Amino acid sequence: MSDLEIWITIAALAIATAITRSGFWLVGHHVNIPTRVNEMLRYAPSCALAAIVGPDLLMNPGSLAIDVVNPKLVAGLASIGWYLFRRNMLETIVFGMLLFTALRLLHLF
Amino acid sequence: MTDPAAQPDLAAHHEASWREGVKTGAPSLFGIGAWGLVVGVAMIKSGLTVPQALGMTLLVFAGSAQLASLPLIAAAAPIWVIFATALVVNLRFVIFSALLAPHFASLPWYKRLALGYTAGDMTVALFLQRYPSVEPEAGKLSFLKGLLHPNWLSWQVGSIAGIFLGNQVPMEWGLGFAGTLAIICILVPMVASKPALCGVLVAAAVSVLAAGLPYKLGLLAAVLVGMVTAMAVEEIGAKKANKHV
Repeated sequence: MSDLEIWITIAALAIATAITRSGFWLVGHHVNIPTRVNEMLRYAPSCALAAIVGPDLLMNPGSLAIDVVNPKLVAGLASIGWYLFRRNMLETIVFGMLLFTALRLLHLF
Repeated sequence: MTDPAAQPDLAAHHEASWREGVKTGAPSLFGIGAWGLVVGVAMIKSGLTVPQALGMTLLVFAGSAQLASLPLIAAAAPIWVIFATALVVNLRFVIFSALLAPHFASLPWYKRLALGYTAGDMTVALFLQRYPSVEPEAGKLSFLKGLLHPNWLSWQVGSIAGIFLGNQVPMEWGLGFAGTLAIICILVPMVASKPALCGVLVAAAVSVLAAGLPYKLGLLAAVLVGMVTAMAVEEIGAKKANKHV
């Protein structure tokens, strides 16, 4: 792609962000969402977050990796435990990164 | 507020709420910055020039859509294909904005445009935890801004650092994992009920099983199936409760 084409692409991507993120803010009050759908949407953020982390924890790029030698899965599960115990996000991230790095470098299993 | 009939002024700055928002979002900033760093490095490694990468992070501000577009740009795919891909990857934001926008329907359009544009995954989740109801409430907007502005800043600082560090950060460090950990910490307190737990587990399972679908459609499928599951569990629970009464 030429420099100009790449800049046009970047502009198109910015428009895609605006449509998906701001579209509803601009025209949403003209749309009536049925109560049932609205009730269901309450569960959307947690499901979306789970769907973002799921593949990162449970897969090597391209294939399932549900076993104890997957450092992300082990560190992720340990971090859930750490967070439930300590209720502190920054601590949990530091703990999880240290454990992940240790598992990755030492091949503990 | 001495007059109980007075509508709370949504747009007025509310210092305490702004601080509360900053405090609520602060622990996630490290993860956001690390994630930005990864996307910054990826843009340079895929062959964008420094000005192009800077333009992309400042204008597009959507990590997953940026990552999805990079291989397409490198392969010189048609622009409309890249545009459509970004729309699909961003579809979850339509659901999020449907949840968030009604809280701020009274603001002028350009403010709504700007707020929506900067509200990503974690911000929406944290905001709805604090304000589940759409009733107008003083300080709501300040709380949202307290979440949004530091979030935007740490993303951009991380991303720009990644652009300039370019090839010097090895991908094996797995810095993006910090972003995953930040999401886990936001997710855990949201899973406080049985329907929510079932929805989240099913969504995670579907996201893995459907990971092979193109354009991150697996993510969208996971959200839909997870929501329906949570709703079904909720209704079965309600029916059981009715029988016992």
